[in-house]
Amino acid sequence: MLAQARGALAEPFFRYACGAAATALLCAMGGLCILLAIGGWPALSTFGLSFFTSTTWNPVTDVYGGAGPILGTLITSVVALLIALPLAFFTAVFLTEFCPQFLRRPIGIAVELLAGIPSIVYGMWGLFVFAPVFAKYVEAPLMAWAAPDSIWGKIFTGIPNGSGVFTASIILAIMILPYIAATLRELFLSIPPRVRESAYGMGCTPLEVVWSVIVPYVRRSAIGAVMLGLGRALGETMAVTFVIGNSHRLPRGLFDSGATISSIIANEFAEATSPMHISALLALGFLLFLITFAVLAIARALLGHGHGT
Amino acid sequence: MNDFAGKPFAEAYVAQQPGTNEFEQFVETIPPESTKVDIRGLDFFYMRNQALYSVSLPVAQNAVTAIVGPSGCGKSTLLRVINRIYALYPGQRAEGQVMLDGQNILDRSTDLPWLRSRVGMVFQQSTPFPMSIYDNVAFGVRLYENLHKAELSARVEESLRRSALWEEVKDKLETSALGLSGGQQQRLCVARSVAVRPEVLLLDEPASALDPISTAKLEETIVELKRDISIAIVTHNLQQAARVSDHTAFMFLGRLIEYGSTERVFNNPRTSKAADYVTGRFG
Amino acid sequence: MSGFTGIFDRRGRRRLANATFVIVCTLATVVALVVLAIILASLLRKGIGGLDLAVFTEDTPPPGAPGGLRNALLGSLFLCSAAMTIAVTVGMLAGTWLAEYSTDNWYAKTVRFINDVLLSAPSILVGLFVYVIAVRPLHSFSALAGALALALIAAPIVTRATEDVLRLQPRALREAGAGLGTPIWITIRRILWKASAGGIITGALLAFARISGETAPLLFTSLNNQFFSLNLLKPIANLPVTIFSFALSPYEDWQRLAWAGSLLIAFTVLSINTLVRILASKRRRT
Repeated sequence: MLAQARGALAEPFFRYACGAAATALLCAMGGLCILLAIGGWPALSTFGLSFFTSTTWNPVTDVYGGAGPILGTLITSVVALLIALPLAFFTAVFLTEFCPQFLRRPIGIAVELLAGIPSIVYGMWGLFVFAPVFAKYVEAPLMAWAAPDSIWGKIFTGIPNGSGVFTASIILAIMILPYIAATLRELFLSIPPRVRESAYGMGCTPLEVVWSVIVPYVRRSAIGAVMLGLGRALGETMAVTFVIGNSHRLPRGLFDSGATISSIIANEFAEATSPMHISALLALGFLLFLITFAVLAIARALLGHGHGT
Repeated sequence: MNDFAGKPFAEAYVAQQPGTNEFEQFVETIPPESTKVDIRGLDFFYMRNQALYSVSLPVAQNAVTAIVGPSGCGKSTLLRVINRIYALYPGQRAEGQVMLDGQNILDRSTDLPWLRSRVGMVFQQSTPFPMSIYDNVAFGVRLYENLHKAELSARVEESLRRSALWEEVKDKLETSALGLSGGQQQRLCVARSVAVRPEVLLLDEPASALDPISTAKLEETIVELKRDISIAIVTHNLQQAARVSDHTAFMFLGRLIEYGSTERVFNNPRTSKAADYVTGRFG
Repeated sequence: MSGFTGIFDRRGRRRLANATFVIVCTLATVVALVVLAIILASLLRKGIGGLDLAVFTEDTPPPGAPGGLRNALLGSLFLCSAAMTIAVTVGMLAGTWLAEYSTDNWYAKTVRFINDVLLSAPSILVGLFVYVIAVRPLHSFSALAGALALALIAAPIVTRATEDVLRLQPRALREAGAGLGTPIWITIRRILWKASAGGIITGALLAFARISGETAPLLFTSLNNQFFSLNLLKPIANLPVTIFSFALSPYEDWQRLAWAGSLLIAFTVLSINTLVRILASKRRRT
């Protein structure tokens, strides 16, 4: 009798504990959004629209405009995606269609493992190994080649020291490449064998099978996978902070230094003392939250529960 | 049961079969001029497991050849050799000869897309591609031929008519093929294969997932198609084999046991295994 | 066949297109693998030189003095362990709720969706959030805040793994438990969790691998500490932030230590992920 009574009490207790844990996750996300909004409100209300359009970011005079980092975030992410997506797509196709059997598993595993390397490692590599080489062999020759007044001259403006918006994009691309490739590969493998067979059975070449059947078959989820990669790039901090050069102004060219929302927060938040400075950083955080939440929400809706981590 | 995606399927059966000639065999011959595909001494392996043992069999020109037998006897495997779809999976291997109009398609030099344009295949489960009905049927045609829009439309219509689907879909050709019923999807797959004007059509249990009415329509289609296409059909439904085929091959444990005209095989089987099977004593 | 007019040139074109496609795919894979190999190689080259016994036995030095990473390593281990304790508790309970207790109503769907979004939410925002709720009220950076931030990143991974693996358990297992008159919560704890242990451990290991390299959320929660400390309410030394500040310093000794630390982290993460794979393939085989 006693045991039963104890069990009867424990049952709802356990149940509520489980429910509470689930609710805690929900509250964390809700709290994140609300607290960032509240924290950022002083800056947003003080500077209004100019917070998004002005490039003045001056802790001394306490005037903050976030156009530089906002634009920097968008540019680096989009350029990174433009570089990584084709490479990741072709790699995924290679692994599912052309790779010799004995290499499939090792390469597949290698790609998945590399997706897990911490971003700080990529950042360090970018700063100490990649940037000097990039400056010497790519930036300097390109800037010497491009006439200052031509459109190329404008695009390649900057300081050829290896740090800058474009370097950050490349490092980001390298980081999200294994991630997108692994997810796409998983999607390609999820296609039932009979669909591939019937396409090959029509006499399609692999190119035609991939282009006309496999890609349309997974289009929705594939867009989801790409958005997930974009979400990663938008919020990535360490890989960017090392190599973007950290300047508040609007980058004038691809090789110019700049900042992203996450890099400016990483660099300044711990040292920020004036309440307005903190508020401005929180407001940028809130904005980053809105952007990534939208991107990730769309990605998850397209991808469904069960793919990608 | 019929998912052959690289898995050995008849290990248990095959393991008990050391020799190749312990079964009595009765194989009729047909004249070479009416042979479209001639399979000679075909062995097939899933990795190290042998699935077919020295199978020799003709597929007659412009006729329907039914391949029957109990589950796991190798009938689907045999069919999948004829357009070499098995080659998608490393570790699957065929030895012997499969002559198509006098050319051995098992040669390494065979151009697979070209082979598969001549030898079409319809699978057990329908596999409409994720595009419109029209584009599904036009899909294969666009791969091989440069047709004007009118010609292409005519070909699509002809193919849909031949597979008895035209009346049902003519008003919604631009809608997604995924919205069709199971029976319609399967006939669409037939139309898709027919549109390429293949010389041989392989049907792998095409009606096993269909209701009786759709099955009847599909069978009519098969009989209509044999006017200018040589057809090989794998089925576990003996009545269906009797209804649609001119020749029947009975397989057992990876071997061909009996082959001959459908009428003769069903009414007067010469081997005890085939007799047991057609009278329903096993399988 | 009259229908095949022009098939030969068309055939040639299709073959050429396909051959190009094969080459492009192969090249892309080679490029991707080479880049990633270069990264690992330079990490090894630069890191292995700084890796000596002192790294494990001595604390982080002032510039110019010899030293190691002992306090940072221990601090990171402590932070991650504390974070995992929280994350596994919350994650297992939340995952259990999603798989066993929730009817598939809008609330459960929302929780699942939010959890999926949290899986890839920017970690720096988690750091900001924890700063506001844990650092500001206590007026101090603290190990506690750092552990909380890491826990918030790890918990969704454990939740997801727990739910997924519980859903794989056969219905018969639950019915067998109930058939013996066992209360549901005992069935879950004694039978379902036990049957799912492999998958949950896998998820927890992956979560551990993920947070062991996280830097951004620690920058303004746990901060860093030159000295060894396990005080929950004080800043704590940790490997990622140490690497960050040492790498960006002008001192060569510090940069050398940063590379050694990077190598350690990458090696740890790769080992855990490999271990997870071995465990998973073993489980699939049995």
